[in-house]
Amino acid sequence: MRAGRQRLSRDERLAYLILLPALGAVFVIVTIPFVLVIIQSLSNEDGSFIGFVNYSRALGNPLLYEAIKATGVYAVIVLPIEILLGLSFSVLVHRTVRRPGLRAAIYVLAILPLVVPPVAIGVIARLIYAPGYGVLNVILERWGLMHGQEINWLGDPTLAMLAVASVDVWQWTPFVYLVFFSGLQTVPRESVEAAQIDGAGWWAQFRYIDLHYLRPLFILIIVFRLADVLRVFDHVFILTGGGPGTATQLLSLYMYRVEFKFFDSGQAAALAVVVLVSFSLLYTFIARVLPLERA
Amino acid sequence: MRRSPAFILRSALATVALGAAGVLYGFPLYWLFVTSLKSKGELFASSVHLIPHNPTFAAYSSVLIDRGFWVLLKNSVIVCFSTVVVTLIVGLVITYPITRLPVPARLRVGVLNWALSLRFLPPIAVVIPYFAIVRTLQIYDQPIALIGIYSLFNLPFAIWMLKGFLSEIPLELEDAALVDGATRWIAFRRVLLPLAAPGVMAAGIIIFTFAWSEFLFALILTATPNAQTFPVGVQGLVTQFEIIWNDMAAAGVIAMALPLILMVIGRNYIVAGLTFGVIREK
Repeated sequence: MRAGRQRLSRDERLAYLILLPALGAVFVIVTIPFVLVIIQSLSNEDGSFIGFVNYSRALGNPLLYEAIKATGVYAVIVLPIEILLGLSFSVLVHRTVRRPGLRAAIYVLAILPLVVPPVAIGVIARLIYAPGYGVLNVILERWGLMHGQEINWLGDPTLAMLAVASVDVWQWTPFVYLVFFSGLQTVPRESVEAAQIDGAGWWAQFRYIDLHYLRPLFILIIVFRLADVLRVFDHVFILTGGGPGTATQLLSLYMYRVEFKFFDSGQAAALAVVVLVSFSLLYTFIARVLPLERA
Repeated sequence: MRRSPAFILRSALATVALGAAGVLYGFPLYWLFVTSLKSKGELFASSVHLIPHNPTFAAYSSVLIDRGFWVLLKNSVIVCFSTVVVTLIVGLVITYPITRLPVPARLRVGVLNWALSLRFLPPIAVVIPYFAIVRTLQIYDQPIALIGIYSLFNLPFAIWMLKGFLSEIPLELEDAALVDGATRWIAFRRVLLPLAAPGVMAAGIIIFTFAWSEFLFALILTATPNAQTFPVGVQGLVTQFEIIWNDMAAAGVIAMALPLILMVIGRNYIVAGLTFGVIREK
């Protein structure tokens, strides 16, 4: 008995011995930049303290609000489309595709877009939409859908935003599909059969049984996709570079420009602090609603 | 199985929908590949061919050898491989105690939540202070700067995935070895690690593909072929004044080849990785 208790406490000590240095190191590495960026946001170029001047410049810049608006528009376009398409496909495949081989093939194909580097997808999008060379205009012309003057997909603010959003939908709808599809596999067969005996149709089955089991996954998808939308950079940078004008200048592209094109590191630091603080607040909320097992 | 008219209708709908998806996903990839096989002459031909005439691999040798992109490819491999090693070691050091040793539940939950919160850090907000640090440490344009930051950003994934794999292995297996007189280290090396190997490998593959795709940090923290990774090179081709389309397409094909191959191996774990283990496949 005594020996057992002693080993337990030795194990506990071992746990702290391993855990604390590792966590401590990561904590310090993560924290130093935070401290640094706060200091940077409160000082001017030569390092002297100037209070909240950088903040008022950052928050007073109309370009910031254009960037927030562009990010919002982007999210409002891509999230509903991805969720609707992903959900429809998952239900369709779940109900109609029975052959395990075919299901496995669809699974693998759905994974592939997720691992293609966004930069490469940006290149593909360029080959499709680019003025003068894009294949989309060629196809439209051959099909007789476009006459004479070619459509400048990346030159018009609305079309450029749609082009950029289409890339996101292309890459991430399969992710939504995969999450919903594996969610559908957890729906107990008994409840489906019981409902069928009760005469529930296709829609009723979906509405009252499937959706019930998929509900936690909606939150998961929205949270993960929202976090990703807020960090979108690569494919937009390649495809439009934020243009035309500032039409597709999403938040991360805007911050990139402030720091690395305008070389305004004070304003960039203030923006970074604002973004980090809003994220921490958002996160404390997210952490509560996410259906993650933490045991 | 009884085939009702409704079922046949649904099957027809599924065939049409899957066919449309096949075209929407297949054609862009096909077009990238076809463009990469074009010769310089065909690029400027007045009519665009949807099927390549005289396919050639000239664009690939132009990108890799004439433009010297094989160096960037080498940098990418070095950076990604080192990232995988560092991330997995740190990840195991953190997940081993919280899954195998008696720590208070609050500590375990705290660590996992903290790791999750790192997942939601927006990279652009972090890269601004990191840029200053990297310059101060004089590791700007060095692979080590990328390895460090990639490891940090992949650590949350590693912690959550490894935690999932480790906690599936029964504690009794290690206890048996401990009772036989093995040290904790031996029990870890000889019992736990071999059992966890497939999961650790899968985590490694996923981290590798994430690091391989990364662009923002690489764009900001490197400047020359000394440390530039392949995606930065691809970007350089795109924004040039006169775009050489076949070279750009070839670079795109090269950039996506390795992740696609790796993912066919790691396919059963990718969704688990992307959702922090909420969704488990097979």
